[in-house]
Amino acid sequence: MLPVAVAKKGDAKAQAAKVAKAVKSGSIKKTAKKIRTSVTFHRPKTLSKARDPKYPRISTPGRNKLDQYQILKYPLTTESAMKKIEDNNTLVFIVDLKADKKKIKAAVKKMYDIQLSDQPN
Amino acid sequence: AAARIKVHELRGKNKADLQGQLKDLKAELSLLRVAKVTGGAPNKLSKIKVVRTSIARVLTVISQKQKSALREAYKNKRLPLDLRPKKTRAIRRRLTKHQLSLKTEREKKREKYFPMRKYAIKA
Repeated sequence: MLPVAVAKKGDAKAQAAKVAKAVKSGSIKKTAKKIRTSVTFHRPKTLSKARDPKYPRISTPGRNKLDQYQILKYPLTTESAMKKIEDNNTLVFIVDLKADKKKIKAAVKKMYDIQLSDQPN
Repeated sequence: AAARIKVHELRGKNKADLQGQLKDLKAELSLLRVAKVTGGAPNKLSKIKVVRTSIARVLTVISQKQKSALREAYKNKRLPLDLRPKKTRAIRRRLTKHQLSLKTEREKKREKYFPMRKYAIKA
């Protein structure tokens, strides 16, 4: 706030005179005290920069290990499964534990070129 | 692919070829797995092991090629952590050979002016 230059010992008096003049002329602004309307103090938002690493920590991201071959393991051939094939026009597959319905749908489409209808279960 | 997969042939292929071969092998494996469930012939069942190891070989070659290409790309630059030597944690934290060899000016002068002398005694 105050116009402070690197003062030499001899200039102290001159600097004091300078400051006094500035105060009199009113060029020094007093910062108004901020009023607080809430009792709690919330952390003010400061600048948050996005990551920009100088070198990647891992050289390449790993390959996708849950591809369509991994998702659909093999079809079931039990009696009840056979029944479903004939009566309900469905196939029953043993599927990887980590697959969800969307992934399964995509995998079947890729592997067998079938269009799946939205069915319960 | 009926013939036994040879690794030195694999190393000659480029990335697209290897990925294509990988896809074929995986498709073959899925067929064999179906055959296993539906009571397939023994020659098919024994092929499962062959195909699995071939897939492993192709994946190994792919990964090795990728790593060596990356090392080329990162030459004289800061290496990513998985391209740096792994050794052991303690070894990585040791002083390097160069750091161990550093001597103060004082020590260097001492060695120069007062080296270890060798004498022979005449009997």
